[in-house]
Amino acid sequence: MAYLTRRSFLHSSLALAVAGSVARPYIANAAATTATMWWSQGFVQDEDVALKKVVADYEKASGNKIDLSIIPFAPERQKIISALTSGGVPDLFNSNPGEILAQYAWKDQWVDVTDVVETQKTHYHPTALLAAQAYNNVAKKRSFYGVPVVAGVVPIHMWRSLIEKAGYQMSDLPKTWDAFFDFFKEVQKKLRAQGMRKVYGQGFQVTANGNDPNALYYAFVIGYGGKDLFTPDGKAHLDDPQVKEAAIKALSYLTSAYKDGYVPPSAVNWNDADDNNAFHAQLMVMDVDGTLSTEVAVKAEHPDWYYHDMATQSFPLTNDGKPVVSQVGFGCALIPKGAQNVTVAKELLKYWIQPEVVGEVIKTGLGRNLPPMPELVKDPFWQDPKDPHLAGYAKQGMIDPTMPFYYVFNPAISEVDNEHVWSVAMFDVINNGMAPAQAIDKAFKRVEALFAKYQVV
Amino acid sequence: MNSASAIDIGRPAIRRDTRWRSWRGELKGSEYTWAVAFIVPYVAVFLVFVAYPVVYGLWMGSAASLYQELFADPIYQSTVVNTALYLALAVNVKMVLALLLSGFFMRPGWWMQALLLIYILPWAVPAQSGFISIHWMLNGEWGFLNNLLYTLFHIEGPSWLNQRWLALGSAITSHIWKQMPFWTIILLAGRMAIPLEIRDTAKVDGATGIRGFVHITLPLIANLYLTCTLLSTIFTLGDFGTVFFITGGGPANLTHVLATLGIRNAFDLAQPPLGVAAVMSALPLMIPLVIILMRRLRTAEVQL
Repeated sequence: MAYLTRRSFLHSSLALAVAGSVARPYIANAAATTATMWWSQGFVQDEDVALKKVVADYEKASGNKIDLSIIPFAPERQKIISALTSGGVPDLFNSNPGEILAQYAWKDQWVDVTDVVETQKTHYHPTALLAAQAYNNVAKKRSFYGVPVVAGVVPIHMWRSLIEKAGYQMSDLPKTWDAFFDFFKEVQKKLRAQGMRKVYGQGFQVTANGNDPNALYYAFVIGYGGKDLFTPDGKAHLDDPQVKEAAIKALSYLTSAYKDGYVPPSAVNWNDADDNNAFHAQLMVMDVDGTLSTEVAVKAEHPDWYYHDMATQSFPLTNDGKPVVSQVGFGCALIPKGAQNVTVAKELLKYWIQPEVVGEVIKTGLGRNLPPMPELVKDPFWQDPKDPHLAGYAKQGMIDPTMPFYYVFNPAISEVDNEHVWSVAMFDVINNGMAPAQAIDKAFKRVEALFAKYQVV
Repeated sequence: MNSASAIDIGRPAIRRDTRWRSWRGELKGSEYTWAVAFIVPYVAVFLVFVAYPVVYGLWMGSAASLYQELFADPIYQSTVVNTALYLALAVNVKMVLALLLSGFFMRPGWWMQALLLIYILPWAVPAQSGFISIHWMLNGEWGFLNNLLYTLFHIEGPSWLNQRWLALGSAITSHIWKQMPFWTIILLAGRMAIPLEIRDTAKVDGATGIRGFVHITLPLIANLYLTCTLLSTIFTLGDFGTVFFITGGGPANLTHVLATLGIRNAFDLAQPPLGVAAVMSALPLMIPLVIILMRRLRTAEVQL
């Protein structure tokens, strides 16, 4: 019989430790066809169902295994940034936040996915192709680092019932920019006159949280003719008088609306979902917010709201009657450098972006997002005459004139957005008594400082 | 000469042997091996979970350019002011109130114990749920506080979280609400440790009420109070949850403290080294505090 001695105990411990560390790579090698994937949790459960289905279908078709983690938005964002910093990366994740595509492409931290995008290049929306590229400051070139799998545009959400209660019809909505937004000031006055003490006409996110305030401000800048604030070559055009005028006008309109009491006071400190919640509580008549999340979130519980009470539309015409270009955000799949199984990750993406597959994934997710390919919105799902939201939303994002969000052009714009330079300008006017022109001068200086860090050649 | 030389030759070996025995803590043979075997896991855990993250953090935040960028950021400048105010007000108001309330809770009676139980609740409940409730209560349009003001007095309350100083004040008040019970209990324990004879003797000499507090209680728990204040300052400097859940750093990033700014820079701006630098910039304050605290704990006798 053998007895455990001090020496044998120490030897056994050492042997176990060595065996453990040596055995690990062997296990990893044995499962070489397994790819690790992180993805954001959907806004509605159906989006997660759709994601799991595409992964399961790919696994079945390929024999490969995908180790999928569905993670809430904010923790996933932290997990991704931590992984990119430490180098312990998975094989695939979504662009959360969207700005990381440009920020980390600059540092050469993405695997080039041109070969994946090429497989469906003819099907993609041209704006999607523009949004999936970023500038690599190591390779000194722009290339495809993202694979677009979803799209989202910013529609205007309205309570039909409140507009009618104020004595108007939806057909009374003006067609041009200022008249359209001013209309809701009148609606508020009429509703207040009926004793609705806490209703506001305009749900503008004049906050410094999330992406909403950036999207709102840029929509107004574009609406006032300042589309070339930033251009696809990665340049800022702060000296362009037309751009500056549009920037000041946009800031003036949004801050005046707030100061004049047409925007809920708490909007100055809303987080990403607060405007959705406030809209659902009928705190305001109108909200400018990306995707159809506002409508889709209540579809199951309040179908009457979805089908009869809520209305959506795209941006009105400019003040001189021209169509306004909508900015479209594209959710991209990214493969970080250091990924262990790039081949499987790319195979999965090639499978996923086949038009019939990606279209089905979006539809299963109730159509909160759009497919990244225009031909897919011809599907009866998007053109259903009984649905008051989908057809208009699809037209705005895939048929009408669009452009990507500015941040894809230069990582400096990502920093401008992440720092909420425009929100700070809004606050300077609202709370610090600055004139809009002065606040824009201050904001432009900050933009210049951030651009100095990123010279795209 | 020869014998002397032999002794000289042997001396270094003897010295080495003495040093070696001293290094081994006078442990012999297998005792030393067992000691090493048992200590290795602790050293490994320390290296992996304490030393590595600290060194990694120092390395991430070591570039001078990070601090140039940080100091040029107007949000950082307002954050430093907020942090100083947060520390000065939250720590001192909390500790003074805790000191006074610890005297109140010294009163006898079952109802006092019941009241103490209720008083401790804010500290006992999870921070997130408490702070989120307060955040909602302070909402300008539909929050409980403003609705109460309107219902009772027809007053339209302010938007508590929309203005920098009101929002920061709300965060400071919430911190005090959450943390004060803990420090009250600590100081209550300190007061209870004062021997009964001292208090009785003081009463005989006429030191009751305020005079008893000033001349007897305060000098006896001064050391404890000071140590608690130092400790609370260190905890408060690292307090992320209160500001994050009450104001979210808003409006317009004007109510951040260093702890929340670090997270914002690291994850919202996707620049982890800049986040680490924000937190590291508190080290000139943090290190002296820790040194003073350690020296107090090492040298001071327990004086109650």
